[in-house]
Amino acid sequence: MHHAVVDRWSSGHSLLHARDGRVKVLVCLGFLAAVATTPRLTALYAAGYGLAALAAVMVARLPLGALLVRAAVVLPFSGTFALVSLLAGDSPRAVALLAKSYLSAVAVLILVGSTPLPTILRSLERLRAPRLVVLVVQFLYRYLFVISEQAQHMRLAALSRGGWRFRSAAGAIAVLFARSYARAEGVHRAMLARGFQGHLTLLAPVRADWRDGLLLAGGWALIAFLRWGLEGVWSR
Amino acid sequence: MHIPDGFLSAPVWLSLDAAALSLVGYLARQAQRESGEAWAPRLGVLGAFVFAAQMINFPVGVGTSGHLVGSALLALVLGPAAAAVVMTAILALQALIFQDGGVLALGANVVNMALAGVLAGYLPFRWWGAGRFRQFAIFLGGFFSVLAAALLAIAELRLSGVPIPAPVLWITLGLFTVTATLEGIITVAVVRGRDRLGLGLAPQPGARYARGLAVVGLACALLAVLGGLAASRHPDVLEKLLERLGLATSRGSQ
Repeated sequence: MHHAVVDRWSSGHSLLHARDGRVKVLVCLGFLAAVATTPRLTALYAAGYGLAALAAVMVARLPLGALLVRAAVVLPFSGTFALVSLLAGDSPRAVALLAKSYLSAVAVLILVGSTPLPTILRSLERLRAPRLVVLVVQFLYRYLFVISEQAQHMRLAALSRGGWRFRSAAGAIAVLFARSYARAEGVHRAMLARGFQGHLTLLAPVRADWRDGLLLAGGWALIAFLRWGLEGVWSR
Repeated sequence: MHIPDGFLSAPVWLSLDAAALSLVGYLARQAQRESGEAWAPRLGVLGAFVFAAQMINFPVGVGTSGHLVGSALLALVLGPAAAAVVMTAILALQALIFQDGGVLALGANVVNMALAGVLAGYLPFRWWGAGRFRQFAIFLGGFFSVLAAALLAIAELRLSGVPIPAPVLWITLGLFTVTATLEGIITVAVVRGRDRLGLGLAPQPGARYARGLAVVGLACALLAVLGGLAASRHPDVLEKLLERLGLATSRGSQ
């Protein structure tokens, strides 16, 4: 794992990539809330939400197959609970658990696939998420791959020295901790030396225009229709 | 156990999101007051460490392995406020980038692992960490951090009406007891490794936290109790399951 694939997706260009991060976050949250609060997720609802998500994938020009496969990481967990629900005689709930968790994962992937993480984080900060947490996520993501790689190297080294046992794993984590701590000190000092005062600056300023307003209004209107209007229109 | 979206009912995820947002906001201000905002890079790197450490497998017995969760270890090294902030950051990143846990369910996962997990990991060490029972206190911290998080997750699922029949519940609890024991042992082993390298643990924070800690602890206990009540209100789930199984066997014998 050298690189999260969503980083490549989010650096692309499309109508959806160009929209304001806050708007995309809000529309995504609206979609998630609609899916989560749909009482019985029938095939009609699933088709409505699914088509809306598909349209977003098309507009953002994201690789559909790869995205659907990636979203499937939620299925082992929901599959287990779906199976239990099925055995307990609640098959609608079993279907709803699978469909809801999968649709939600797809929606989040569309958000992070069309918006670089720093932009999402800045948007969350503007939407009043705790600032220290947002900053910590930012640095965590910056150093995640660096330290994971170091961990892999240490594992390889221990293996080639003749074995990977409980003690060597614990020792490796202790050493990794010490190295991370030292790196953290260094990074901290370097940031202070560069005048870091507790927030990061984006190259492109966050500014919403009429297209962002259109996406917010249109997106929420569509979601509200799918949630409350679709069944009535269909049955008429 | 990262709860994905679509599992929790609206009252549960809404109230837990609100609780998590306000509590983490409070703890973030505490951590900031302690060390200033410029501390963020350091916390981020340590979060990345926990993330990487979660990928290191610990061989246990034949063919099985566990991994570190890390909330107790972070609580011991950073103190509870900063540890809760780092765990929240880890969970947020897992939900956004790795689809491990839902975005609406983030509040629930934060309450389980970043608040209750850190608190349960920290309290034994705070009470008994100085004396003869230091190793045991560290073990208990690791053990309870995992168990508390698991119990809360189960309580939240049951409150949301997700059926967890008794046999499944006992198997799940058994498995979590095993992982909790592992977490305790791994935490002790890593702290021992740190001792050998001559690195200390967190300076004991003053009594300022006491009220915040008590509030979080009480709220979590209340939630677990509510989950238990919800469980006893729907005893029919088990009967339904047995009925089904009975049906299946009688059909098979025909």
